[in-house]
Amino acid sequence: MAKFVTIGERIHCISPVIREAMATFNPDPILKRAKQQLDAGATYLDVNIGPAESNGEELMMWAVKLLQENFDNVPLSLDTVNTKAIEAGISVYNRSKGKPIVNSADARDRIENIDLAAANDAIIIALCSKDGVPSDNDERMAYCQEMLERGMSLGMDPEDMWFDPLFLVIKGMQDKQVEMLEALKMLSDMGLKTTGGLSNVSNGMPKNIRPIMDSAMVAMSMAYGLTSAIVNPCDLRLMETIKSCDIILNNNLYADSYLEL
Amino acid sequence: MAFKRASQKFNAAINTVTIGTGDKALAIGGANAYPFYKFDSVSPNPARIGIEILDTGLAGEPAGVCAFYEGCSTVAEMAAKACTLEGVDFVCIRFASADPGDANTPVETCVEIAKAVAAVATKPLAIAGCKNMEKDTALFSAIAEALSGQNIMFLSAKEEDYKTMSASVGLAYGHIIGAESACDINLAKQLNVLISQMGLKNDKVVANVGSAAAGYGFEYVSSTMERVRSAALAQNDTMLQTPVVTPVASETWGVKESILPEEDAPKGWGPAEDRGIRMEIATATAVLASGSDAVILKHPTSVATISKLIASLA
Repeated sequence: MAKFVTIGERIHCISPVIREAMATFNPDPILKRAKQQLDAGATYLDVNIGPAESNGEELMMWAVKLLQENFDNVPLSLDTVNTKAIEAGISVYNRSKGKPIVNSADARDRIENIDLAAANDAIIIALCSKDGVPSDNDERMAYCQEMLERGMSLGMDPEDMWFDPLFLVIKGMQDKQVEMLEALKMLSDMGLKTTGGLSNVSNGMPKNIRPIMDSAMVAMSMAYGLTSAIVNPCDLRLMETIKSCDIILNNNLYADSYLEL
Repeated sequence: MAFKRASQKFNAAINTVTIGTGDKALAIGGANAYPFYKFDSVSPNPARIGIEILDTGLAGEPAGVCAFYEGCSTVAEMAAKACTLEGVDFVCIRFASADPGDANTPVETCVEIAKAVAAVATKPLAIAGCKNMEKDTALFSAIAEALSGQNIMFLSAKEEDYKTMSASVGLAYGHIIGAESACDINLAKQLNVLISQMGLKNDKVVANVGSAAAGYGFEYVSSTMERVRSAALAQNDTMLQTPVVTPVASETWGVKESILPEEDAPKGWGPAEDRGIRMEIATATAVLASGSDAVILKHPTSVATISKLIASLA
């Protein structure tokens, strides 16, 4: 098995510093966050520009070029509901370190993002949902099947479809956690790749608790077959957990210095 | 239904390490498929063959080796002759007599031999030690300084002396380090990590992940090589993408099957030299199939056979 893929989530317009930088096309705060995440071991970087209705195309092209030129063509996940902006980002994207990720499609309004990914030889993150949170795994898997068929009918390699079972907040949906893990197992048994917004599980918990909860969740999820996650790579405990799980799963050959790699 | 051949593509490749300089430069490694899987991908460089010469010259060597070097009175003359042998890609001088338990040849003498060899060799050089770590470290550092900038491959650095080797051979004089571990995949990786943390670039490091004559724990050697190559390609493990250079002659010419005189051997074994050649060829073939990017041999017959094998399969 390949090593777990971490997608760094910290270039996100919800952060005031990043929002300001995107509004003014100021590279420094974005480069700084990118460097922190890559130094911490992120594989992909997510670039969330928000809806960016007025200048999404210009902004995404700027961000893609900025990050790839400064960080050796780092592979990126292009994250916005503005499909024109994603297409514009892909048009200037360098694939030498990995295909672009389109973040994301679902089984409802955003299902056409699968078409976009297929047309551009990109990876798609496919959320197993249609109307909010799926009520059970039958529903999850039905959405998965629907999206998988759509992608494959458009010639996509199933390897390029990363299914997101939806990580749910524990405070409020504690009784749904095991079911989500079981969904991961089903997806994994189908040979599919998976990802998701891991830190959602610890949303609303005290700051000192979140790394512990996220680490436990990633370890259990990896045991159930999770192959990737959108995470905060600057969370050392989480990254150490992922690296250790990669060793246990034989995704990476052990060496005494494995945590330093 | 017609058979559809699926090829195995990796987004990873073994590093290319160049030994020697200028016209003599030789690239080792670069493969992005399993050994001889040319139906998946043809390696940019075929497997390479080094020829080993002992610093003690021809004393005790098999008749076929002596015959090949006939007329040579110094190690340098032997090296020059070896460079003319078809199939030889590089020359490895092994300073076996430097061992304090052997002749304890002084470092200065070894340096003079190395300089004389470098002056006449038309192929790139590798330098191997006497397996006494303290002496080897001193010897390698002195030869590295004397032949500064000639991009020589030094065999080898171990867990205990990688710091000195990386600093005084690699970083100070720009040579290539062989990272040696003994059939321990975790240590093979760890040693590469430690050497890279010393600041050596990956185009300056090769690995010897273990060597043994066929029949002498060889399954550990082949499984180590296969696991290392699989991690390098299938898992894109950058810490295991070092080209593997495996000394064969120094293992195979010491075992009973290769040296027991015919008169002392069980009936039907035949002449010792023929057996030695067969051991060398069998071992080299097996390590090449397991993932070695270069082998070091001794007998001209083995060199001819293995180079033909590589040319036919690569």
